[in-house]
Amino acid sequence: MVFIFGVNFNEQKLVKKALQSFYALGPQTADRILAKYSIFPGAKIGTLPPKTLTALTAELSTMNIESDARRVLQDNIKRLRDMGTYRGRRHAMGLPVRGQRTRNQTQSARKLNKVERWG
Amino acid sequence: MSTPNCLRCLVRPSAGIPVSGPMSRTATTATPIAALPLTRTLTAPFSTTAASNAAPRRAFQPAASTKGHSRVGKKLQLGKFKKDRVAERGRVPQPGERKAYRKRITLSNDNAIPVPWLTDLAPADMTAAENTARVLALPEEVQDQLRAGEAFKTTQCWGMFRKPAVLVRKETVNLANQMQESADNRKTLRLVVTGDKVAGKSMMLLQAMAHAHLNNWIVINLPEAHEITTASTEYAPIPNTDPVQYMQPVYVLKLIHAIKRANEQVLSKTYTIQAHPELPQNIPSNTPLLALANVAKEADGAWPVFQALWNELTAQKANRPPILLCLDGLAHAMKVSDYRSPSFERIHSHDLALVRLFTDALGGGVQFPAGGAVLAATSRNNAPRAPSMELALAQREAEARRGAGAAGVEVPQKDPFFRGYDDRVEAVLRSVRVLRVAGVDKLEARALMEYWAASGMLRATVDEKTVTEKWTLAGSGVLGEMERAALLTMRI
Repeated sequence: MVFIFGVNFNEQKLVKKALQSFYALGPQTADRILAKYSIFPGAKIGTLPPKTLTALTAELSTMNIESDARRVLQDNIKRLRDMGTYRGRRHAMGLPVRGQRTRNQTQSARKLNKVERWG
Repeated sequence: MSTPNCLRCLVRPSAGIPVSGPMSRTATTATPIAALPLTRTLTAPFSTTAASNAAPRRAFQPAASTKGHSRVGKKLQLGKFKKDRVAERGRVPQPGERKAYRKRITLSNDNAIPVPWLTDLAPADMTAAENTARVLALPEEVQDQLRAGEAFKTTQCWGMFRKPAVLVRKETVNLANQMQESADNRKTLRLVVTGDKVAGKSMMLLQAMAHAHLNNWIVINLPEAHEITTASTEYAPIPNTDPVQYMQPVYVLKLIHAIKRANEQVLSKTYTIQAHPELPQNIPSNTPLLALANVAKEADGAWPVFQALWNELTAQKANRPPILLCLDGLAHAMKVSDYRSPSFERIHSHDLALVRLFTDALGGGVQFPAGGAVLAATSRNNAPRAPSMELALAQREAEARRGAGAAGVEVPQKDPFFRGYDDRVEAVLRSVRVLRVAGVDKLEARALMEYWAASGMLRATVDEKTVTEKWTLAGSGVLGEMERAALLTMRI
């Protein structure tokens, strides 16, 4: 088991997939990180030297991922609500924001649209 | 909620007795709602279904001690049967086992008939024109060397015959003579083998390697260029290079091991001319090159060891055997690779140090001390488009034909409206020779088919008619197609 950015990964896991498991870090960014540290796309966590692992952790800690990215999202929703916009109110009420009907099928909106949105 | 009556047999399940069991037991105690004859027909007197299926289905049997009402329902039974339904999956293959099975090379078949007139290849056999259209066997030690150098491919039919043998073709004699001539003159032959699909390009490389091994050359084989350039092995920038080059430590370690195993005899008789204190293990001068190759134990230090080995092999004025450097699948080495630089740009294949080493040699940048050959083969199966390479090979071929006095040969020119050309590729292929491998003639086809028939793999009389038939079916004697037409029809 190997730690990257405080998360424990199996040695058999692809480095790219491990990077993508962080919130707000997608395939494009993962590819760029791999290229930056000259890691080939098929590399597994277990084959990385400790130096690269610490460098990866350092790189990730400078990026806007996980709780930082979530906070940005929540701030955006809060800003809308504080301004009193329609979108902000709909978020606060847990209702669809973009003009969808509310008669039925609003499960996604009820699940996701809240001020303290988690991802 | 279940119905009070069993809907299948219309029997009220009030008693703790099986409802659709043998008739002698049900008829007395259960209370049939419908007419009695209906319940009696539950078991067919004769059935063509399997015995287990034909047997009457036993309904849920409550324990004898349970009092009162027990529910007979489909859902309750399902839970009970779930336990029995564990599928037998068999043995799960170990990691890497399936790949090993896919990549295995079988070189002999004990069921094939040994061919009495088959002789082993001698060092000078491939250069002799009188051996054209003869099938000759690879000696045991050369088999081992070629196997170590990964010269055999899984797509070739080695596993059908008693021992591996090759057909000496006109092109083989031509190539072997060119190699021998350049070694005699201490020059380096630079040649690209090209031709149609399954025409025998890789086999031509194998024959060149066999010739080199028989004559105590040092053979370095890069079996597939795509393994190097499709971003499937580790890479790292080499420090202090400008423009930056990249090494592939894991692949290079594998390559060093292959070189070591394939050339053990020759390397143990060749000695270093300078000391190598920078390596993990200090190598003084006048050490066998085998010891130098043995230093590479881990991928970390493999590239410096390979570089030291290459520098020793190509050191001028040293006593070295001729060298043969081979690569199959040239198109992959002549394109932009799938690797990315730290600035996220695609790395050109020629910036990968191993490929650069080969292309330098192919382009004429390296002189081997005792001469030798740099051979590359194109592939028609797994090849990306490499317009510059295709154009350059066509140009070289046309120039050679024009040089031989053929009239009306036009050298193809670049398309002025096409942007995909690559200057670096053109520079490498500016002065190579091209050997085109086409179909065999009927004499060679006959020799090969006689060998197949003598091995018991072709169950037909080999006469002019059969040979012509197969030769024509194979598009004027394309060897792979002949195999498909005559040999592989038997494969199960």
